[in-house]
Amino acid sequence: MSSGGPPRKRNFKIEAFKNRVDLDPKYAERTWKVLEHAIHEIYNRNASGLSFEELYRSAYNMVLHKYGEKLYDGLQSTMTWRLKEISKSIEAAQGGLFLEELNAKWMDHNKALQMIRDILMYMDRTYVPTSHRTPVHELGLNLWRDHIIHSPMIHSRLVNTLLDLIKRERMGEVINRGLMRSITKMLMDLGPAVYQDDFEKPFLDVSARFYSVESQEFIVCCDCGNYLKKAERRLNEEMERVSHYLDAGSEAKITSVVEKEMIANHMHRLVHMENSGLVNMLVDDQYKDLGRMYSLFRRVPDGLSTIRDVMTSYLRETGKQLVIDPESLKDPVEFVQRLLNEKDKHDKIISVAFGNDKTFQNALNSSFEYFLNLNSRSPEFISLYVDDKLRKGLKGATEEDVEVILDKVMMLFRYLQEKDVFEKYYKQHLAKRLLSSKTVSDDAERSMIVKLKTECGYQFTSKLEGMFTDMKTSQDTMQDFYAKKSEELGDGPTLDVHILTTGSWPTQPSPPCNLPTEILTVCEKFRAYYLGTHNGRRLTWQTNMGTADIKATFGKGQKHELNVSTYQMCVLMLFNNADGLTYKDIERDTEIPASDLKRCLQSLACVKGKNVLRKEPMSKDISEDDTFYFNDKFTSKLVKVKIGTVVAQKESEPEKQETRQRVEEDRKPQIEAAIVRIMKSRRVLDHNSIVAEVTKQLQARFLPNPVVIKKRIESLIEREFLERDKVDRKLYRYLA
Amino acid sequence: MHKLGRGSRDKVQQFMAITGASEKAALQALKASDWHLEGAFDVFYSQPQIAVANTRHLEELYNRYKEPDADMIMVEGISQICNDLQVDPQDIVMLVISWHMKASTMCEFTRQEFIGGLQSIGVDSIEKLQAKLPSLRAELKDDQKFHEIYNFAFAWAREKGQKSLALETAIGMWQLLFAERSWPLIDYWCQFLQVRHNKAISRDTWAQLLEFVKTIDPQLTNYDEEGAWPYLIDEFVDYLKENGLA
Repeated sequence: MSSGGPPRKRNFKIEAFKNRVDLDPKYAERTWKVLEHAIHEIYNRNASGLSFEELYRSAYNMVLHKYGEKLYDGLQSTMTWRLKEISKSIEAAQGGLFLEELNAKWMDHNKALQMIRDILMYMDRTYVPTSHRTPVHELGLNLWRDHIIHSPMIHSRLVNTLLDLIKRERMGEVINRGLMRSITKMLMDLGPAVYQDDFEKPFLDVSARFYSVESQEFIVCCDCGNYLKKAERRLNEEMERVSHYLDAGSEAKITSVVEKEMIANHMHRLVHMENSGLVNMLVDDQYKDLGRMYSLFRRVPDGLSTIRDVMTSYLRETGKQLVIDPESLKDPVEFVQRLLNEKDKHDKIISVAFGNDKTFQNALNSSFEYFLNLNSRSPEFISLYVDDKLRKGLKGATEEDVEVILDKVMMLFRYLQEKDVFEKYYKQHLAKRLLSSKTVSDDAERSMIVKLKTECGYQFTSKLEGMFTDMKTSQDTMQDFYAKKSEELGDGPTLDVHILTTGSWPTQPSPPCNLPTEILTVCEKFRAYYLGTHNGRRLTWQTNMGTADIKATFGKGQKHELNVSTYQMCVLMLFNNADGLTYKDIERDTEIPASDLKRCLQSLACVKGKNVLRKEPMSKDISEDDTFYFNDKFTSKLVKVKIGTVVAQKESEPEKQETRQRVEEDRKPQIEAAIVRIMKSRRVLDHNSIVAEVTKQLQARFLPNPVVIKKRIESLIEREFLERDKVDRKLYRYLA
Repeated sequence: MHKLGRGSRDKVQQFMAITGASEKAALQALKASDWHLEGAFDVFYSQPQIAVANTRHLEELYNRYKEPDADMIMVEGISQICNDLQVDPQDIVMLVISWHMKASTMCEFTRQEFIGGLQSIGVDSIEKLQAKLPSLRAELKDDQKFHEIYNFAFAWAREKGQKSLALETAIGMWQLLFAERSWPLIDYWCQFLQVRHNKAISRDTWAQLLEFVKTIDPQLTNYDEEGAWPYLIDEFVDYLKENGLA
């Protein structure tokens, strides 16, 4: 070295070692080859020899060095190749092994997929999101769907195999449900759309055809009850099948198919099936079949309304027969009892078989209302039924039994559209029960009145309660009378007077007959007593409503106590002074009205076992040319003989017309009062609104006839309570 | 008159014939209604009467016709009036006159009714009243006046103390009134009443029948059963249908 100048300083700079850090394409290719091989080994189930850590790092490096796309595309093509191979293997499976092979390969694929996803996890986290590719696991499923399930060779065979197995199970065979479960789960795992499109839809279509054919066969060879059993069993089977090996979402769909094919499409034929349809079930109280029909039909549109309509038609027809059958009209008690039985029967059907369905209860109620009101005598007959129960039918019954029966009667009462007609008859019948002391218990009577009041309000029952008050007051009056007058009365006949308030009782004014002297005397004493106690009262005797007890001695000295009506007493007392009397003699001496007298004499002379009188000529009917004699030969095993007690009977046609006429007359002031009440509060109202309002106010008692309402309005206009509006003729104004 | 065209001249003549008005009054009314005859009637009748009646003459007139022993013109007096007017007592113009007089009952005019009525018409002698008859008769052509006269007729024709109008009287009145209005169903109505009703007629039914005639066509195509018609009219409609008349 030369020793020329000072030594020169040199800057040192370190640069990156480029060649060693960059992954060259060859290296990437080699790395991918390693991974590809590993994937194949995984599918070949030789994964145990692989190093997870090494493979993971290889994939990591590829992604890190921007070879993610190569890695992803390589994965996709490798898996595709493998699945195509698997597809061939599955296709080659023989017969019954097909599903097993498919399932086995699917399980292998899933295992492989999991391992592959683990190895490529870094790619899934980084490269896949940024490049918007499908994640590894999902990619694997999609490839399986596209190359296995949707393979032409596999797809149709898969569907057909599944459906065939289901068909065989429906036919009673035992199939491998576990395997079915696995396959359907596979389809669901591939995506609900795969399950629905590739299995569920063809399943539903095939099922529809299956059940359509089967239902056609069943409908021909089965009766209604058996058909429904089969339909029910099929429904249950399908639900069970879903729970075993189908997706839960299929249940509603498959049951809908069964419902449509087996129930909806044959609904009308089923209910109308001869000898076994709905009407037969109703007639024979087949609760199980009815319950089954109800539970099955409620599953389809219009199912329950179909049952309801047929039941309603049947009820209306049956009920109509009950209420218009001339035979059943002969006995009012029987008439009502049949109705109550019919109601009980159908109430039980509705509660046991129809789950107390409100719509069926309403149908039952409207049916009863329909046919009960077809017979205008229903109000009378219901009252007669109550009369029968309260006279003797409920004798000895517990309080609870009484309530049950009266409640049932109230149900029928509620159906009446003419409750005011019932009230009129009830009043008549109650009067007879009270006056003849023929009631099982006061409590039962009052219970009935409480029910009527609850139903229709105080006004409806106020007069009935007045009747009870009169009975109580009369009892007190008689006690006082005998307490104060016992000395004057001495040994004369005992008198029991009922004082009846005019207007409360359904009395018909009748001319008083001639009472025997003995009776007349005590009656006058009572009159003097009563009018002395109550100033301003008027007392009128109603001899047509009384009864009497008479002691009589007959030919061989035998004695009997006769229970007779007051009229009959008047007749019999005449024979104390005469052996024989003509009809005209009796009529003159008693002044009993002819129709009553004839009825009276018929009871005394023409009824076997009760004929304390004898008549000539002998015949069934009373003639004005007859002559009557005391019947010395009368005999009876009983000491007490009851003759011709006045019993409530159904009215003859003329009597019925008369009662109805009185009801119609009673309605007019009620309608007018309603109109006046309405107009007083509204001042101005149109015609149709008045009609609607009046109907609403009065329908608890009766359904007003719009024509009658119109006539009452006209009458009120004429009497200047109302006037028509000057401008709008349909408008009425209230005149103060 | 030479100024008027032929059509106008005819209208003047027609108006004068119907109303009994003067040519001057006719011209005024027709001009006011733009030469529409119907409108001219309305104009004419809505005008207050100009003539002033002489009260003293009316008193003399009343005294001439009244009952000798009562302060009232009654059957004989009214017959005499009809004679002097040369009209039949059954003539509908007597109803119109009674309406003007506000007579409370048929065949009777009180002093106040007679004098007040003639004053409102604007006449104070039989001759003037007679000359007025055509215009009084023509008032029936006015809808509003017919309506008032029709409803007036009910109380006027009714028996004293009664609320309803006797059937035969009602039928007679209807026949008289509807001769002016050509209601096609009048004969059926009268026949129906005699066959099916045979009872007195209420004021409401009487009034509503006119509404029925006005608003319901003879074929009953617009009849409404819920239209608040009196029940009797409902029955009449049923009667027509039953007999194939509507």
